[in-house]
Amino acid sequence: MRRLAIWAAALIPVLVGVAASVALTLNLFPNPILYLRADLGTLSLLIGIAISTLLMLALAGWLWTEYRHRESLTQTTAQAAADRRRFLQRLDHELKNPITAIRAGLANISHNAASETLSSINAQVHRLSRLTADLRKLAELETRPLERSEVNMSSLLGQVFELAQERPEAEARHLTLTLPQAPWPLPTISGDHDLILLVVHNLLDNALKFTRPNDTIEVRAFEDGAAVAVEVADTGPGIPEEDLPHVWEELYRGQSARGVPGSGLGLALSQAIVQRHGGRLTVRSRAGQGTVFSMQLPVKG
Amino acid sequence: MADKPRILLVDDESAITDNLAPFLERSGFTVAVAADGEAALKQVAASAPELVIMDVMMPIVDGREALRRLRRSGNWIPVILLTQVGEAGERAMALEEGADDYLNKPFDPHELVARIRAVLRRARPGQPPLATASRIASGDLVLDRTSHRIWLSGVELTLTPKANALLEYLMTHPDELITRERLLDAVWGWEYPTGTRTVDTRIAELRRVLGDDPSEPRFIETVPGQGYRFVGSVEVAA
Repeated sequence: MRRLAIWAAALIPVLVGVAASVALTLNLFPNPILYLRADLGTLSLLIGIAISTLLMLALAGWLWTEYRHRESLTQTTAQAAADRRRFLQRLDHELKNPITAIRAGLANISHNAASETLSSINAQVHRLSRLTADLRKLAELETRPLERSEVNMSSLLGQVFELAQERPEAEARHLTLTLPQAPWPLPTISGDHDLILLVVHNLLDNALKFTRPNDTIEVRAFEDGAAVAVEVADTGPGIPEEDLPHVWEELYRGQSARGVPGSGLGLALSQAIVQRHGGRLTVRSRAGQGTVFSMQLPVKG
Repeated sequence: MADKPRILLVDDESAITDNLAPFLERSGFTVAVAADGEAALKQVAASAPELVIMDVMMPIVDGREALRRLRRSGNWIPVILLTQVGEAGERAMALEEGADDYLNKPFDPHELVARIRAVLRRARPGQPPLATASRIASGDLVLDRTSHRIWLSGVELTLTPKANALLEYLMTHPDELITRERLLDAVWGWEYPTGTRTVDTRIAELRRVLGDDPSEPRFIETVPGQGYRFVGSVEVAA
C-alpha cells in the first residue's frame, strides 16, 4: 500500500502540470507566451542543480525505506527472542509440578526396591530437574538486579581455572592460564561476581567437553583501559559454520554437540549474563582448527 | 507410635500430594492433605497439626495469603513453603511473611524430610519462631531483617547482599547443620556448577567481617565435608 502511495506521490507534479495546461489552453486564465533566455553557463548550472536534487530525493527515499525495513527486522528478531523466553518460562512452570510428583513417587518406590531401572529413572529425573533449574536462571536473569561489587578478575579467573584442573578431562589436555602482570595486572571490574564466574566456568566447561585428549585449551585475559577481555581458546574440532550463528539459542544443539551431556542452555545463559553487564560475548571457530570464545566486560559497569 | 508428628500437606496438584503424602508417612509422620489455602486454614483450626507444608501457587487462597492470615491471627505453627516461581523475590517473601523454611520445586523429597525435622526441633510451641522476628540477635551481633542492616557490639557492618542473606538464613536456622547445596538453593536460588566454592567465598567474607575465627567459632562453624552450622544462640531482639 505504502509503495503505491509513494509512486502516486511522484505523479503529483505531472498531474498539476496537466491541470494547469488544460486550464490555460481553455483560456480560463490569461495564457501569455513566455520566452526564456539563458547563457549556456547558467543553463548547465541549473540543469546540474535539478539533476542533483532529483538524485538526492531518490536516495533519501531509498534510505528511508531501507531504515524502516531494518527497524522492523530488529523488532521482529527481538520479538522472537522475547517470545522464546516466555515460552521457556511457561515450559519451566509446567515441568515443575510433574517433576516434583515423580521425585516423590520415586522416593516411595526406592523404599521397597533398588534396581538398575530405578536408578536410571532417578538419573533422568535429576537431569530434568537441572533443566528446570537452568530455565529458571534464564528467566531470573531478565528481571533480577545484578549484585554488583568490585570484582578482581585475576582471582576470579584463577578460581575457575583451578576448578577446571580438578576435572578428569583436564589431565589429558594442555591447560594454560595467562594473566597480564606487566605493566600492571588486570583491573577490577564492577559486576556480579558469581554470575561472571558462571560465564567463564561455562566457557571452560565447553572447551573441556568438546576437545579431545592432547588438545590445547588456553584461557587468557587482557585489558585496554576501558574493558577487560577474556578469551577461552581451544584446538578442538571447531564448530561447523552452519551451526555457528545458532550457538547462542536456548536449547540449540549443534551436530557435534549431540551425545555430549549438557542442558543446551549454557551459552544462552552466558550471553544473557554478559549482556546484562553491558559487555559482549562472541565466538570465532574454524572446522578442524578450533574455537575461541571472547568475552569483553566494561571496567566501569 | 501415637506421638508421630502430625503434618498438614497443602497443594492443589493431586499428583504431588498423592505421591508425597505416603512418602512422608513412611518417613515417620502422620499426614493430612488439603487442596487450597482456605481448606488448609480450616483444617489448622479444626485439628491443630504440628507443621504445615504449603505450596505458594494455589487457587482460592494461595499459600502466601494463608500464611499471612495464620500469622496475623497469632498462630505460630511452623510452616514450610514450597515456592515455585523461584524468583529471589519469592524467597525473600517467604521469610518476610514468617515461613520457617522454604524449598524450591522440584525438590528432593529427602531434603523436605530433613527440613521438617529441623523445623520441628527448633519449634517452641506457642511462641513466635525466629523466622517471624524482624530483629534477631546472637550475643552482641544484631541483624535487622527488614532494613538488612547488621551491628556487632553496636558498630554497623557492611556486607555484600549475598553475605547478608546468607547470614540471615544461618541465623534463622541456628544450631542446624546446613549443607552447601541447601545454602545454594535457599540463598542463591540456583544450583551453581561452581556451587560449593561460591558458598565458601561468602562464608569467608562473613567470617572476615564478623571477626569470627573458624578454629574457635562464635558464630559460624564448619562441619568438615558436610556444611556449616550457626553455633551462637539466637534470640528475638527488641
